[in-house]
Amino acid sequence: MSFILNGQSHDIPPDWADEPLLFLLRENFGLMGAKFGCGVGICGACTIIIDGVATRACTTRAGDVDGLSVRTIEGLAEGDSLHPVQQAWLDHGVPQCGYCQAGQIMAAVALLDEVSDPSAEDIDAAMDANLCRCGTYLRIKAAILSAAEQV
Amino acid sequence: MRRRALLAAAAGGLVALIGAGAGVWSQVPVIPARPEPDAETALSWIAHREGRYTLTLPRAEMGQNIATALKQIACAELGAAWEVVDVVLHATDMPRVKATVGSESVMLFAEPLAQACAALRDALAAGQVAGQVSVTPRPVADLRSLRTGGLIGASPEITQGREIVTGAPLYAADVHLPGMQYGRVLRAPVSVEVESRPVRWNIEAARAVPGFVAVVEDCGPPIGKAQGLGIVATRPGALVAIAEAMDVAWSMATPHARSDIARAVDVDVRLSQGALPHEVLDGAPEDGAWDVDLRIDVPLAAHGPIEPRAAVAAWQDGALRVWAGTQDAFYIRDFLADAFALPAMAVTVQSCRIGGAFGGKTICTVEAEAAALTLATGNPVKVQWTRAQEYALGFHRPPSSHRIKARVAQGRVTDWDHAQMSSHIMFTAAVVPPWMQRGTDLFAGDGGVARGMAAPYVLGRARAAYDMVRLPVHTGPWRGLGAGPNALAVEIAMDEAALVAGVDPLAFRLAHSADPLLAAVLARVGEIAGWGRAPAPVGGLRAGRGIACGTYKDTSHAAAVADVAVDAKGRVRVTRLWCVHDCGLVINPDQVRAQCEGNLVWSLGMVLTDDLPTDAGHVTAQTFADAPIPHMTDVPPITVDLIQSDRPPQGAGETAMVAGPGAIANAIRAATGQRPTRFPVRSEDLGA
Repeated sequence: MSFILNGQSHDIPPDWADEPLLFLLRENFGLMGAKFGCGVGICGACTIIIDGVATRACTTRAGDVDGLSVRTIEGLAEGDSLHPVQQAWLDHGVPQCGYCQAGQIMAAVALLDEVSDPSAEDIDAAMDANLCRCGTYLRIKAAILSAAEQV
Repeated sequence: MRRRALLAAAAGGLVALIGAGAGVWSQVPVIPARPEPDAETALSWIAHREGRYTLTLPRAEMGQNIATALKQIACAELGAAWEVVDVVLHATDMPRVKATVGSESVMLFAEPLAQACAALRDALAAGQVAGQVSVTPRPVADLRSLRTGGLIGASPEITQGREIVTGAPLYAADVHLPGMQYGRVLRAPVSVEVESRPVRWNIEAARAVPGFVAVVEDCGPPIGKAQGLGIVATRPGALVAIAEAMDVAWSMATPHARSDIARAVDVDVRLSQGALPHEVLDGAPEDGAWDVDLRIDVPLAAHGPIEPRAAVAAWQDGALRVWAGTQDAFYIRDFLADAFALPAMAVTVQSCRIGGAFGGKTICTVEAEAAALTLATGNPVKVQWTRAQEYALGFHRPPSSHRIKARVAQGRVTDWDHAQMSSHIMFTAAVVPPWMQRGTDLFAGDGGVARGMAAPYVLGRARAAYDMVRLPVHTGPWRGLGAGPNALAVEIAMDEAALVAGVDPLAFRLAHSADPLLAAVLARVGEIAGWGRAPAPVGGLRAGRGIACGTYKDTSHAAAVADVAVDAKGRVRVTRLWCVHDCGLVINPDQVRAQCEGNLVWSLGMVLTDDLPTDAGHVTAQTFADAPIPHMTDVPPITVDLIQSDRPPQGAGETAMVAGPGAIANAIRAATGQRPTRFPVRSEDLGA
């Protein structure tokens, strides 16, 4: 079993196949961006992109990404050059605690890959299921709109 | 040493069952020490070497972005460029600092830091390049960083922002150590205040699960009265399968005496038994009929941070090292040293960025679990609570019920009586052992429950008093402590009193305001919201506008206006929010605004969603679906206006909690004619 992780092919160790993809990414590959928040796909802190689709890594079986392409927040920037969504998050001072933001950013990247000029309704539909307890939602919306001008 | 022997046994990989059962835990509490910061101590926070500075953050970073604000102070005072100051989070190997609670980080730490930086700046200017600097505090007017200008009043890119948006490891659960394993401590599905312990389990079935490492009976202090049973695995997901396979049978004592939580905190039941013992306002209202007489109920609520508590523990070089997302690393250190009979020098706790705390990450739980499991197995262990553990084992905002009355004559409140029944916030079971509780309950009251009960108004003959009862669910500090629920009750009653008096609610508050700074935020929010205009109509829905205000911890002030729309089925949408905020000198306006925005979203949650279901005194919530928090589409446009002030800086992390909930509740009253008094509001109370 193997998959493409941020552009590079990796084997899925057999004893990790039944683990949630989130733990494979975090504890086997050391990619700590996606977070454990609820374990049942409600909060979205673990959101990553599988073959272009924003997906909950906590409810995806690691073995099920065999042959697929997984993109995590660690794969967004090119060297020191941030992805426009990452830069917009800094420009708008979005993060408070920051714990949900990797999931928020990946959901936003998936949205903008799909719809380059999203309406407020598009943003609500794509983002409403990603929870933030600090209450940064309005800044997330503003950041997505300004990133859309850059993408 | 006994534990070292256990480690040796475990290291062979053969021992699956470690320890001799439940330990005997100290009955003497470890009380959190709360030293006030001073300039002398602050010298340990800032260091210079070869043109670069290191600021060791004396606070926990949990999203208030205090790392950014204190770096602004340091840079401004040192005259140093932003790029040459590195910020690191503290470990317990520096002089003790008090817990990061109560919105005190700028209020109490900015000036000592500025004094230390000024001393360092002068020492460098005098040619000193090594050794210890001494500090003689100078007049505040001589400090460069406690006045607006340059970095003070600016909003630079937030510290650790780049790490957040690139997914770099920052949080306790992001720590990864060689040979690390994954642990969990199982506890009985019963109230944490009912004695429980594991009695038997299927060790053979557990061993058969791939990734199984050990069952650990000696797994640290109980949480409340819940003795646990530890499990360790080579992969985190395996813990779920191991726990299922174990099929643990629990010994559980009979149900808690106050399993009916709503009845236990029923203020009217309590008042029928006599006067409340703890007075906040000691006026003597006259007997007679009341113009306002409301019963207001606010339920148990979880903090709901997206980060479940996590810790990594390792035994390294003869010492216990723990990485924790905690508001008080020093208390965690002291607690662990006591619990595991180690000298304090042999325990180091490293603060990690916290993924949301809101008052909830102040006591030692998951850290002790990780420590016990690493001491038992000899390997580094990571423990992160499940969401269900967060609800069942954490502590929560206590439920409160309020009987609040006012009498009105000639447009003024002449008599006021606010009675509250709640549970503990400061003197909780986590920090006060049973033998001390009777004393604190009788004589000390609980300042957390009292917070915000003294209404910020001149109210004639005003009484406010409260009592608390210990519940089967753990309670404690939650953003604003008692101030959120108390201010909600006060602001609803003031709104009703204004209606009775026939006076505009804004003018009514202004007429009663005891503080010109409070009056100023009120007047200002009226201006920016266009108070007096009807709220924008929303297609066929009942629209309403409400106002509220308050003062937090005597020194910071907020006022809010809310617009709501309510449909025929009684479903409420908040459609617009305004807030004016005065916390004195503002170091970082963008992040003070962010705190106001967060508090307004919390205000919305407090009125519309916050609730934590229980059954027989046991929290039954398992997921965010059972204890919902506001979503993006719940949040309306928000306008925040900060008062420009040269008062010394005050707190901003909780202040708007005294204004937002009341404004929303009062807007619902304006829209529907129904006065919401049970929270979160129920649509059946607001039908057309």
